[in-house]
Amino acid sequence: MRDRRAFLKTSLTAAALGASGLPVSGVLRGAHAAEGPLVIGAPLPISGAFAANGKYASLGAAFAAQEAGKVLGRTVTVADIDTEGKPAPAARKVQEAMAQGTRLFAGGILSSEALVMGKEAAKSDGVFITTAGADEITGSDCNRSTFRWTVPTFGAIAQTVRPLIAQMPNAKRWYTITPQYVFGEGLLSAAKAVFQEKGIEHVGNSYHSLAEKEFSGYLTNAIAAKPDVLLLLNFGSQSSDALRQAVSFGLKKRMTIVLAWASGLEQFEALGADLCEGVYFGAQYWHGIDSPLNKALVAKVRETARMTPNYSFAGSYQITKLLLDAAAKAGSADGPAVIKALEGMRYAGLTGEEEIRAADHQVIKDYYLLKGKAKSAMKDKDDFADVIQSGKSFLSPEAAGCKMA
Amino acid sequence: MVPLLDRPLVQFGLALAAVLVLPLVMRSGTLASEILIYGLAVAACNLLLGYTGLLSFGQGIFFGLGSYVAGLGLVRAGLPAPVMLLLSLALGALVAAAVGWVSIRRQGVYFVMLTLAFSQMFYFLAYTFSGLTGGDNGLLDIPRPRLAGTVLADPWTYYAFVAVLFLGLFAALQRVALSTFGRTLLAIRDNEGRAGAIGYPVRAFKVAAFAISGAVTAFAGALHAMLIGVAPLSNIDYHTSETLLIMTIIGGSANLFASLLGAGAYLLAADALSAIWPRWLLLLGLLLIVITLFLQRGLWGLIEHAVALVTRAPPVDDPAPDRPVVTAPEVAPAPEALPGAETGRAPEVAR
Repeated sequence: MRDRRAFLKTSLTAAALGASGLPVSGVLRGAHAAEGPLVIGAPLPISGAFAANGKYASLGAAFAAQEAGKVLGRTVTVADIDTEGKPAPAARKVQEAMAQGTRLFAGGILSSEALVMGKEAAKSDGVFITTAGADEITGSDCNRSTFRWTVPTFGAIAQTVRPLIAQMPNAKRWYTITPQYVFGEGLLSAAKAVFQEKGIEHVGNSYHSLAEKEFSGYLTNAIAAKPDVLLLLNFGSQSSDALRQAVSFGLKKRMTIVLAWASGLEQFEALGADLCEGVYFGAQYWHGIDSPLNKALVAKVRETARMTPNYSFAGSYQITKLLLDAAAKAGSADGPAVIKALEGMRYAGLTGEEEIRAADHQVIKDYYLLKGKAKSAMKDKDDFADVIQSGKSFLSPEAAGCKMA
Repeated sequence: MVPLLDRPLVQFGLALAAVLVLPLVMRSGTLASEILIYGLAVAACNLLLGYTGLLSFGQGIFFGLGSYVAGLGLVRAGLPAPVMLLLSLALGALVAAAVGWVSIRRQGVYFVMLTLAFSQMFYFLAYTFSGLTGGDNGLLDIPRPRLAGTVLADPWTYYAFVAVLFLGLFAALQRVALSTFGRTLLAIRDNEGRAGAIGYPVRAFKVAAFAISGAVTAFAGALHAMLIGVAPLSNIDYHTSETLLIMTIIGGSANLFASLLGAGAYLLAADALSAIWPRWLLLLGLLLIVITLFLQRGLWGLIEHAVALVTRAPPVDDPAPDRPVVTAPEVAPAPEALPGAETGRAPEVAR
């Protein structure tokens, strides 16, 4: 909040001139921005249905800025931009921030808002790095200004379904529950490709809508198909609801349950250890990752903020840090210079060695397979799961459909 | 006699003043453009709610339709923006006439439910045909219009473009409201039975009101898509209908300028409050409760009171015959209107 106020204050002059519509204001805005603090825009769903994710992501971005202190001799500040979890306000507010001179953006949790913000950034030589899930971000809708830290659906399936097939050679019958939107379809087609390759029988799939909360009908269908594994391909509260209802139907005893794209520690906290025990979860990040940067982050956040960084926090921290590191490396906070510095960058990230692929701006990083552990086996209140597998699986930029303009 | 503030020239003057003042007081050209765009959509909603007494949850259909039509024409077919704006106007009118034709067959809560059902139906159509609409990702890469070979990329240049169109449509809506057609809509709103008994084809008038409202709303949707570069699924969601209705009620349904006031107040409050508190919608809910309980003429009513205080003239508490206000919308017909409608006898108009 204070950051946003500071941001508004520092850009007041430029804004007033911008409001006047005078052509000279563009020049003055640029000059003002170059002398002031280094502002990182954090467009996040701070209000609305995804406000909880936005809150942690905002904390993560602020933590990265505080840790960096000064970059290029300029104090780093984070300006929270409330996207309300909707693409229209997201696009408008990013346009406004760019009109006020902000060029570096780290945020966008939801795919629909991330896609439009990436397009907006590209219009004025900005840089936008996101943790959103849609494959198109570094696929068919990739552009020069947009970067993505999260592993796309192909890698998420490869790192959850493949190792489980190898681990359970007798589990030949899989059933899927899929949200009928672009993200869900991406996961489903990736899963079907693996099933076909490995000779797995896909005994059925239930589609549900974007607003579904009641999954008992789909679960009944799943039981009737007598699968060995139930693969949940939905996200957020829908995956939590589906899992809760599956457990209450007694499915955990009858089959293995896999949630391909979990939303991290916040989801485990919401579900509780008893429900998660024995369930497999795919994850972009876990606080137990054994990497120097992650260990340092977890220790620092636990000490200063008395919390354990979850996925929203850590993802936002990492992408903000990436922008700042790239600006320092480039010796400039101008969009094109930062883009050039980011392309091909190899660095020690939260998940270990990470690399930004120049061809499609996709970060090449690990995806994790977790297994929920019993409450009695938890070492502390956040020790909900063990990492049982991790690895990097990515389509080539050509196969992902990225044609960088 | 028509009160000073309600005179057509004064109303247009206020709209013109707002268009000229916004660039001077606002930091964001994008937000200013959004205010005018929503101002248009709310004025169109007001034509149904304030002038015809129809509480429709279908306005989001036309707003979203306009966005998609503009997007598809500009992105897929490469047609020029003026053509797409005209096309969105025409298609908006056509679809609204169809939705209206079915919905007005029922009254009260059933009418509202029908518009809500249509709203859900169109939302799921957009959601299902994701190849055409982009589904939940939205229809991306919608370009800004070109004028004399220049792309209107700068926020304030686009604002100027929107402002000219806004004033043109505002004047057109004023003409509609002041015409015999507009007066007949008021008569239908106040006493449908009597209007019918006089010989007015009530259904045709209602369908026409729907068509005009839908056309302007779709036009606003097209401008919005060009503003933000995307036609998001949320534009055709029933929440958009709800937002437009809330804006109409906040501004007041007394006249068309009140609609611009409602859109501006809502968008500026949302922009400011969201920076203060993540649960800002709660505050908006409280504001709506206060307006519904104590300020039924909306923010426009406040202005009228303020002007009355200054000029020492009594404020307008009751609606005059030519001043639209939501007194007996379809959702809750006044008790005295019902017997008339049922018996065909024209009841006394409650004023």
